[in-house]
Amino acid sequence: MKKKIAPYLLLTPMILIMGVLVFYPIITTFTYSLKKWKLTSPGDIRFIGLKNYRNILQSDSFWYSMQNTVYILVLVIVLTTILGCLVAAFLKISKKCSGILLALAILPWALPPFVNGILWKFVFFSGYGFLNKLLIGIGAVEKPVEFLASRWLLLFVISIVVVWRSVPFMALVCLAGRQSLPEDVYEAAEIDGGTKGKIFLHVTVPLMLPFVGVGLTSTSVTAINVFDEIVALSGYSDLAKNILMESYLTTFNFLDFGKGSAMTYIVLFFALLLGIFYLRSLNKEVEY
Amino acid sequence: MKKRWISLLLVSAMTLSMLAGCGSSEDTAEDTSEGGEGDKITFMVPDWGVPTDEQLAAFTEETGIEVEIAEVGWDDIREKIATAASANECAADVVEVDWSWVGEFYAADWLEPLEVSDEDKEDMPTIETFTVDDKVLAMPYANDYRLAYYNTEQFAQAGITEEPQTWDDVLEACRTLKSTGTVEYPFAIALNAEEKTATCLMWLAYTMNGVVWNDDGTFNEESVMEALKYMETLINEELVAPEDKTSSGMDAYMRICGGTASFLTGPTSFVSRSQNEELCSVVGQITPILVPGKDGKAAQTMPLPEAIGVSSLSENKEAAKKFVEWYTSADMQKQLNETNSAIPTRNSVLEELINEGAIENPGAMLEEAQLVSSPFPNGIPSYYAEMSSAMYNAINKMALGELTAEEAYEEMSSALDTLLSEE
Repeated sequence: MKKKIAPYLLLTPMILIMGVLVFYPIITTFTYSLKKWKLTSPGDIRFIGLKNYRNILQSDSFWYSMQNTVYILVLVIVLTTILGCLVAAFLKISKKCSGILLALAILPWALPPFVNGILWKFVFFSGYGFLNKLLIGIGAVEKPVEFLASRWLLLFVISIVVVWRSVPFMALVCLAGRQSLPEDVYEAAEIDGGTKGKIFLHVTVPLMLPFVGVGLTSTSVTAINVFDEIVALSGYSDLAKNILMESYLTTFNFLDFGKGSAMTYIVLFFALLLGIFYLRSLNKEVEY
Repeated sequence: MKKRWISLLLVSAMTLSMLAGCGSSEDTAEDTSEGGEGDKITFMVPDWGVPTDEQLAAFTEETGIEVEIAEVGWDDIREKIATAASANECAADVVEVDWSWVGEFYAADWLEPLEVSDEDKEDMPTIETFTVDDKVLAMPYANDYRLAYYNTEQFAQAGITEEPQTWDDVLEACRTLKSTGTVEYPFAIALNAEEKTATCLMWLAYTMNGVVWNDDGTFNEESVMEALKYMETLINEELVAPEDKTSSGMDAYMRICGGTASFLTGPTSFVSRSQNEELCSVVGQITPILVPGKDGKAAQTMPLPEAIGVSSLSENKEAAKKFVEWYTSADMQKQLNETNSAIPTRNSVLEELINEGAIENPGAMLEEAQLVSSPFPNGIPSYYAEMSSAMYNAINKMALGELTAEEAYEEMSSALDTLLSEE
């Protein structure tokens, strides 16, 4: 009897913590999202069903933010995956100073995102930014380039900043994955007459997919949840706002808790879809 | 066995402490005190409004009320008040109230109306901004209204000897300053997507034509379009710096202190900033003048003051009201000017400080203070945040070349119409 109760007792704190800090807010936010609840109209809080969701999905502002989100997401995923794998491969090969290189590679990941954004603002600043000084200095341009003044260029800059922060994690995951692959598989492949290219394509890539899947899931969540870097680089401007910022502005700036909660759920749903897709497509049994 | 007991003990302690943390406090009694001996209140304010320990001690000695300061960044105060209020909690007994928050705070019923004498109302013209339906919701403590500044030496260098009287004069002067090579980007104005940019359009239209909104809450098209066109001309003729489109409004304003701009209509704090050698490289060259208008100097200027109010959810309302009264008294305004560089909201105190020489190089500061009046015909609306966001985003897009002045007007006007229809 004692043995039966003890595990539950030990799990109680964690269940309580998860219940209060995770499940309760998730359920409450969903109930908020079904209400008309604007703090500036305290006398008009009522159940409106899915109207908040419908209004959001019909608004131009939401789809504009969605375009920005998808742009950042695609760019960050592609660049982070390529660069992350390259850095991991380099760290695997370079054994002499791999410790120091690894520590250096982790640095951007350890920086708070807002600080990261501020640092890069100094680089891309329109007037006296580092990059403009460099470009003018080498005679590549005559006038400063306004990196933060057009929508797509600004989104590109934001993506670069996020990539810079995301690459270390991807590289670490890939490096750990590569180091955990059994050497006997490679030996067997070599005995079977496999070339380096073929071994990479038919052994390394399939075995690495689950690790890349973990890295991709984390990178995608990071790319969807970009906030600090956007604020640091372009403030709360419409130009670069993503769906997370739209959600923040609706909830805390316009004080519309109902609509803001619905938007939060849309962000959650979007991230969830991606997570499920990665786990299903990349985490299956490997044949090599 | 011993290990198991220890782990069980730890688990129980952790669970109990967590449950204790989740419990609600019992001291939720109604405010029955008269505000005196033994009362304790909290005051949420940004760093520039924090009174000194000596000032607070004097208040406690006088009233018996203890004050606990919650110093919070200006940006976070509104969010903290809103989040606490959504849970029917009081963020602090006395809270900072920016002029732009009044409409929504009133609609949300977060502020307790204050009793203010007619004498005080007359002495503090900016109180109008915090008055809705004849109820004073907050008392202004830090004055800010739009005042114009120009660099006399740069103007003289470009051969301009007269102080600009109208907005056309300013435009011509800026063209001359640029064409003579005196200053490349002579006009300092906020164009980034932020609140200051929206207020730039407001004061420009207001000082040009005396009107920004019609009585029904819609934009006065003629006035706002004229102001937008003026901004567009400044942008197209490159009289404003390219970085002003993406850097903060304060950075744009500060160009006048760095000598890279010759004209600014901006906060009253630039009276002291332009005298501070640590902040200004052209000390002695900047003169505060009356804001230009259409046919001469503008007959009115826009106030942007900061105030403090009593939370309607406070359990110590009477004590909180006593604090507000004390904090905004004439004597405290003088002290706060000395200790916190706050510009008094009482014109009598402002005049006294200027006459005493406590405020250096005031120029037209006092004269402009007499012209303060709110551009909002029906008070600050509850949808101000949404409206302001639509305004600054449209102006920013115009500055970045994505929209013309007409398109920018159309964008902000249709956003305002939607907000009005939802009211």
